[in-house]
Amino acid sequence: MDKLKRREFLATAAAAASLPCLIPSGVLAVEGREGANGKLTIGHMGIGGMGSYHLHDIKGRADRGEVNLAAICDADDRHLENASKIAGPKADVYRDYRYLLERKDIDAVIMATPDHWHGVGMVHAAESGKHVYVEKPACCTIEEGRAMIAAARKNKVSVQVGSQGRSTGDACAAASYLRNGMIGKVSKVTCWHYGNPVGGTDPDSPPPPELDWDLWLGPMRWRPYNRCYCPGNFRWFLESGGGQIRDRGAHVMSCALYLMNADHQPPATIEAKGTAPTRGLWDCPVDMEVVYTFKDPDWTLVWSQPGNPPPKGDAGHNQYGAVYHGDKETLTLYGGDGGTWTEKKARQFKVPAGGVEVYRSPGHKEDWFQGIKTGKKTIMNIEAGVAVADLTIMGNLSCILGRKLSWDAARGRFLGDEQANRMISRPQRHPYHL
Amino acid sequence: MHSNLWKEASLAAAAGVLASVARAGDAVAVDELIAKIKSQDEKVRTQGWLGAGQVGAAAVKPLAETMTDANREVALAAKRALAQIVHDAGRPGADEQKKAVIAQLLLLLGDDRPAAVRREVLWLISEIGGDESVDAVAALLTNAEFREDARCVLQRIPGDMSLAALRAGLESLPADFRPAMAESLRTRGVPVSGYPDQKLVPTKATGVKPVGR
Repeated sequence: MDKLKRREFLATAAAAASLPCLIPSGVLAVEGREGANGKLTIGHMGIGGMGSYHLHDIKGRADRGEVNLAAICDADDRHLENASKIAGPKADVYRDYRYLLERKDIDAVIMATPDHWHGVGMVHAAESGKHVYVEKPACCTIEEGRAMIAAARKNKVSVQVGSQGRSTGDACAAASYLRNGMIGKVSKVTCWHYGNPVGGTDPDSPPPPELDWDLWLGPMRWRPYNRCYCPGNFRWFLESGGGQIRDRGAHVMSCALYLMNADHQPPATIEAKGTAPTRGLWDCPVDMEVVYTFKDPDWTLVWSQPGNPPPKGDAGHNQYGAVYHGDKETLTLYGGDGGTWTEKKARQFKVPAGGVEVYRSPGHKEDWFQGIKTGKKTIMNIEAGVAVADLTIMGNLSCILGRKLSWDAARGRFLGDEQANRMISRPQRHPYHL
Repeated sequence: MHSNLWKEASLAAAAGVLASVARAGDAVAVDELIAKIKSQDEKVRTQGWLGAGQVGAAAVKPLAETMTDANREVALAAKRALAQIVHDAGRPGADEQKKAVIAQLLLLLGDDRPAAVRREVLWLISEIGGDESVDAVAALLTNAEFREDARCVLQRIPGDMSLAALRAGLESLPADFRPAMAESLRTRGVPVSGYPDQKLVPTKATGVKPVGR
């Protein structure tokens, strides 16, 4: 387990001074920070749901003396009260994340807010000099993604997006198997996932007193509180969570881009169709199919709800995943998130002499810590996180508009579609903006 | 089962909206659409809103009126139908249809319309509106209930007219709203001084204390 000692930071920084290697400003700034105790000091933004998982994880690391756990924040006081019991008395509590970002002793933040906060929150954290672990999906609009990449680069912070499937051994084995040509030339990847729920039929109501509804909404346009939004159900609104494609798609298609070594290959066309929900506020398509084409090299990626799940095989489940179709054979990667399995043939594959070696992540957070410490790119760096989020955003957009979209990657615009181009961004409420 | 495919909305004619498609814009088509939207059968409502794009501008006002229906599912279907019309009108090559839809939407921004309708219409205008929309949207900058939405919409509408409206707003609107206007101008690439960015300024305290401290 990495212990991020101050001596190591400084030694790395000193060594890096003569190298063309990126050293995050936050690392250098650790020196002299009160309370750092030579370890990375972490704050948590959003501590319900996945945030609670991360908090437990970091609390364990803090108890083992590996990191400092300095603060937690959430727009919901109930979450704060519960999370404070986990975090312990040393961790300060905030409703407003900007108090946390003001603190010079905090080196890094873990963001597990609702999705519509990921872009703005990560940008603000980076601009405050914090390294960021941001949950997936990285962003809700293409513009947010661009701002996240720019903020990470400008402020030289290490960012890990929470598509942790890439850090699993089976994903690494599958990537190694594919990239060494074992299934031949891959022309198609078909993802499957069960559909979105229908619901959201409660009436609007006053927000509960413990919830700061204005802060929860953040960059989204104002609307009355409705319990169908939160906690958790933001997932089923196109504007916020974007449904399964943006949620689990950020796992399954993250693995697809990883296995295909295509993080830097944007799609050429996007064509979606979906089955509309027949009632309720939740507006994500119940069933859905999105076909993405890529050029040079040419291949096709299909996101399908529910698609055609293969038999479970020796995997833990077959609720979602992807089949990789090569001209020799196929390979299946089940899951794609924290639970990821591949076929035995890939797990047992040994890279031959002179073959393609695939980086094996030591663990998703450990990989992030290494990124902070050394300046190396994380396995799910912000560029990769935005690339997969953009796929999901474009898929939803094609479905909403009911037409095929063509993407001009060089210009960062849709070809000949002004309305789609306007929807690359979405104006944000003041002051919760990029 | 949900059998209505967004992608196939244009084919919905074959599944029952055919008459409406053939008489797009006429009163019969609008009446048929509104009847579907008001149906007690959720599948019929969904079929209705998915096919609304084919009916077009003529349905905008009746749909806006249906958005306040006492049955929330009916109101929701009307709202989605309106969005469907805007998405259809925004497709490449549909300039005349877009103009007609925008003209109808602009008529819905007046004081005689419910706030929820006006807010929804504002954001739909942000997707397809141009210079012709700027004055009507800018007029709402002086309305405390809508000024933030109007600012966002002006920020999104391209062109010199929307930019001029944002500049004028910065000069004339109450002091508490000027930082927001300044931010819109910055987003549009216009340097603004005198109104520091407030995005990193914390304002919201909690009463929760750390457990055990």
